[in-house]
Amino acid sequence: MTVYALFLGCTIPARQPHYELSARKALTKLGIELVDLEGMTCCAPPPLQSIDLETSLAIAANNICIAEEADLNIVTLCTGCFESLAMANTLLKEKPELKARVNKILSSAGKEFKGNKEVRHYLQVLMEDVGLNRIKQSVIKPLNKLKVAAFSGCHLLRPSELLRFDDPERPRIFDTLIEALEAKSIWYKNKLKCCGGLLRGYADDVALAIARDKIVNASSAGADCIATLCPFCFLTLDLGQMLIKTTYKEEYNMPIIHYAELLSLSLGVEPKELALDFHKVKIDKLLEKIG
Amino acid sequence: MAEERQEKVTTVEFYKEITSKLGGETITFCYQCGTCASSCPVAKITDRFNPRQVIRLALLGQREEVLTNGAIWLCSSCYNCQERCPQKVEIADVIYALRNIAISEGNIPNIYAEFANALLSEGRIVPISKFLEKKRADYGLPPLKPAGIESLKKILSATGFDKIMPKKGESP
Amino acid sequence: MDEAKVGVFIADCGGQISKILDFEALINFVKNIQGVTLVERRSEFWRGQGLQTIVDAVKSNKINRVVVAEGTPKISEIAIAKAVEEAGLNPHLVEVLDLKDHCAWPHRDTPKEATEKAKAMLLAAVEKAKLLEPIEKAEFPAVKSVLVIGGGIAGMQAAEDLAEMGFQVHLVEKEPFLGGLAAKAGRFFPTDDCAICIQSPTADLKTVAHTSRKCVYRSGFSEIPNLNILANSKVVKVEGVPGNYKVVVERKPRYVNEKKCVSCDLCTSVCPVEVPDEYNAKLKTRKAIFVNTPLVYPPVYVIDEKACKFYDCAKCVEVCPTKAVELYQKPEQLTLNVGSIIVATGFREYDPSVIKEYHYGEYPDVITHLELARMIDAFGPTNGVIVKPSDKKPAKRIVFVQCVGSRDRRWNPYCSSICCMISLKHATLIKSAYPDTDITICYIDIRTTGREHEYYYERAREMGIKFVKGRPSEILQDPATNTLVVEVEDELLRRLLELEADLVVLATAMVPSEDAKELAEILGIELDQDGFFKEYNAKLRPTETKLRGIFLCGGATFPKDAPTTSLHAHSAAVKAAKFLTQGKIIKDLKVAVVNEDYCGDCEFCPVTCPYGAISLVPKENGHFVARISELLCEGCGVCVGTCPVGAIELRHLRPNQIAAQMKALLSVNGTSKPLILAISCSECGHAAVDSSGMAMMSYPANVRVLKVPCTGIVQVQHILEAFKAGAQGVMIVGCKPDGCHYEAGSQKAQKKVELAKMLLNAYGIEPDRLEMFNLVYIEGDKFAEAARMMTERVEKLGQIQLA
Repeated sequence: MTVYALFLGCTIPARQPHYELSARKALTKLGIELVDLEGMTCCAPPPLQSIDLETSLAIAANNICIAEEADLNIVTLCTGCFESLAMANTLLKEKPELKARVNKILSSAGKEFKGNKEVRHYLQVLMEDVGLNRIKQSVIKPLNKLKVAAFSGCHLLRPSELLRFDDPERPRIFDTLIEALEAKSIWYKNKLKCCGGLLRGYADDVALAIARDKIVNASSAGADCIATLCPFCFLTLDLGQMLIKTTYKEEYNMPIIHYAELLSLSLGVEPKELALDFHKVKIDKLLEKIG
Repeated sequence: MAEERQEKVTTVEFYKEITSKLGGETITFCYQCGTCASSCPVAKITDRFNPRQVIRLALLGQREEVLTNGAIWLCSSCYNCQERCPQKVEIADVIYALRNIAISEGNIPNIYAEFANALLSEGRIVPISKFLEKKRADYGLPPLKPAGIESLKKILSATGFDKIMPKKGESP
Repeated sequence: MDEAKVGVFIADCGGQISKILDFEALINFVKNIQGVTLVERRSEFWRGQGLQTIVDAVKSNKINRVVVAEGTPKISEIAIAKAVEEAGLNPHLVEVLDLKDHCAWPHRDTPKEATEKAKAMLLAAVEKAKLLEPIEKAEFPAVKSVLVIGGGIAGMQAAEDLAEMGFQVHLVEKEPFLGGLAAKAGRFFPTDDCAICIQSPTADLKTVAHTSRKCVYRSGFSEIPNLNILANSKVVKVEGVPGNYKVVVERKPRYVNEKKCVSCDLCTSVCPVEVPDEYNAKLKTRKAIFVNTPLVYPPVYVIDEKACKFYDCAKCVEVCPTKAVELYQKPEQLTLNVGSIIVATGFREYDPSVIKEYHYGEYPDVITHLELARMIDAFGPTNGVIVKPSDKKPAKRIVFVQCVGSRDRRWNPYCSSICCMISLKHATLIKSAYPDTDITICYIDIRTTGREHEYYYERAREMGIKFVKGRPSEILQDPATNTLVVEVEDELLRRLLELEADLVVLATAMVPSEDAKELAEILGIELDQDGFFKEYNAKLRPTETKLRGIFLCGGATFPKDAPTTSLHAHSAAVKAAKFLTQGKIIKDLKVAVVNEDYCGDCEFCPVTCPYGAISLVPKENGHFVARISELLCEGCGVCVGTCPVGAIELRHLRPNQIAAQMKALLSVNGTSKPLILAISCSECGHAAVDSSGMAMMSYPANVRVLKVPCTGIVQVQHILEAFKAGAQGVMIVGCKPDGCHYEAGSQKAQKKVELAKMLLNAYGIEPDRLEMFNLVYIEGDKFAEAARMMTERVEKLGQIQLA
């Protein structure tokens, strides 16, 4: 049984319990044990890094310390948390002066970053700990009619020098995992480009324009849905379509769905168990297609 | 802090201020090729932001303009520019450094102030409502473990983060 | 050796320095030194009547050692030595010192002290002269034969020069055909003519003004006497020394007999195998037996052994009218004896597939310049029409992308120097042949630095070629139409563009030949940080290497255009020939020698020699001793300073000579200040001392200078001896750490100084009495300052108190 400390971050518990629900169910079915540790805080994503980078590194390191003390590797669901924690983990492991600086800050809280644990995203856990074969064998409801526009978001892949997750220009892992569910991961324009999510709250018009671009591209390519990994991307594209309707007077009805939800559904979890009413854009047609 | 600054930093020294800040070390590698601007999803949609221009202004020493004209807040941190830069300028990190400098002098957009205040009080940048906590139980999710606010407060105090922010209700 | 009879000749430089130095006192002093048999004084001694005086003294056997106090010592040394040799005395029995720049000028404010120092300097010179040894010359073989590695235009031009000068030249080329990049590139700027068009042999005096130019194939290049062309061959081993190398060359089998093939092309018509033609950018196929184009040299077909089915087919064997196809050929090795080697392996295009955002290799319509060149060639695979490789339809919209993989810290940080011009050349050629083509060049900078280059840029703009200042971030392909879209910011317009293109040409970087690393190891020469062959000195010796018999030319050292390559090639040819012209190398044996009885087999010295002159020779019972090649040794002495047991000595500066000089220099003070010995190297160090005098700087006369070839010769015991001999302070003056003329000599001296400081401390002597200074020639003022500073410091410390 592979055990990981689950890092939830802020947005998922606050806004998207359906992501957490589907992820817990899917990972448990595939043999991953998830432990909830006490004392985790915000991961210190870009909004906090914008205020002070050094503090953010310390906050991230603090979270990793908790896992180190419990002797567990960390798995995250949100790709923003993945970037924040994995980047801090790698930077501090590889730059001794930076590690010393951050440890000095951590000492005020009685903590010390040792650098002996890994931070992973759940896709990595699926690929490496569970393995494609087991996933394929566990699929009860193949999604074989589905054309999925895979959208991993930015922070799963970049900055690739520090995250080292997949090839930033030609990523394959996410598409492979979608195809393991017997869906088709289709090409669409600007697949790897940002959703603009982090601009919400400061420049909503710009953020909306960028999000709209993504929806239009996926729609033009004939996607049945957009599969996401990041709660910000989900919000931007899902809630965003409501705003697109009022601002641009355009309706796309593009279902936005987390990969964890697709995974759960294909592993046989019933839709009613997955809190699907958190989706603003109705996904009934999608569920019909899956069968 | 704005009130502690004794003398105005000469514009000539601005690049040194940036290169000595965490994240800003590589700004002087830039040779203005424009790859970043061409990769930027925000620059594609609006001309209010262009990463190459931000760096250009900074390297020309236009400190005041860079820190106050609002462009630096439009970066969506997608890191596309940093991936592709042929001189390995850490553009997204440079923008963080510029934001850090701006905030330390009191130029902070409201949304960031909100995040910071939430962090200071609850350890999370998005507060979790009671309503949602109840919903979790309805769906069979385990109750949330408490956030480590005490340790966090010590860390924020050690770096002076808690002093950077104007408190809620105060004007910056 | 007969008893020393020293003649001392003191020049007063037109009476100038005798105004400061008391010459009468000096002459009297010198006359009384034991062993001095003659003292003369004139205005100058290195030419004219003065020189004649020396010559007469030698011829009349009054003297057998010569000491000359002369200005401009570097020049006068050579003149005097030459004259002395002609007079019948060994030229190494001469010692020249400089009383003007090292004594009179810098100490002109203290003439009495200066005179005392001059006495010490003269005494030192005399004592050294008494101990000098005659050093003879030796002859080493110099085979009048040169190996040129690489048959591109650089190698071919160098080979032509040398062959016509009468040298036997072996031109080794790894491809089956000569021409290198030029054979693929089509046209070269700035003349826009055929790239492989080279001057016909200058021996062809029938064509008066040498205006006729012919390509390799028609220039009779191959018929130049003394030229041995070995195509399809590689150098695998090199042994020996300059003037006498043994080179092993491996010849890959061509499977076609060069003497029988008549280039009738029957073989290709029956060959059943078709493979993508790499020479033609895979725009077409070729057979397993092939020539690249009809215009090749050697005009002999070759078989691609990876594609050929050999005896399972053998159709070409049957059909060949002269029975030239020989499938049984095997690789063969041959050994060449050459005097020097020229590396002309050129450069190649960087493979841009690693720059994933440009999708080279994935989208067939994204190509490089060499591939475009094949299309531009009227005899090329598309008959001169520019097409999209994907569907062979004409390309009407072309976008060039500059700096692909160049000026890029992720791949090649340097500028590849010729790509801007290549793009301008190709763009203007295409536009003039097909004026309705829409051409855009995306650039960071346009670099048109050479002769006539800027006119290409002018012409391009006049022809309506568009320029976008911005580096594209990505090349996309619209899957519906297969059109390419180049995403770029037009910085001048401050607008993000999406340029549609049928064809995108990447001006990819130019990188060293893929064999450069292997070849560098075989030859024992260095590569620079970018993998190109490293020249000895980029400013003054661009075609030489550290190894005296190996030279570089052409793109092998850095990408360059054809005119510069030609210059380089001719330079390398001259350098390679110069030392071989007499058929022998005559060398003064001013070298280091190892006393094999003392050598303790510690194996420290070989790696310190900048010339690779030291090898380890096995002796009985498994031990090794160091042995120094008289041909390669340049007498710098760094090995002397390295040897922990003092087993190595310089013939021209024996330990007893150093000791004698030290003692003499410190024997006379005449000032109220403590004596300081400055050991200076004969390159920058001594030059700084010279220039401090020439520029009339002032420093006190208690500072005495002892010259050594390189500060690397300094051993800790030299420093201790100096203190023992009466120095109160010691200065070591050498070149800058990255500027030592013998590689790392001054750096090694620095280490010894640090070690010595520790020892001095242990003996109760203040380590501050010892200091190292790194200077260059123009820092005469810094030398004077250092001398004054050390004097002050040592004065404060007082006399040395030994416990």
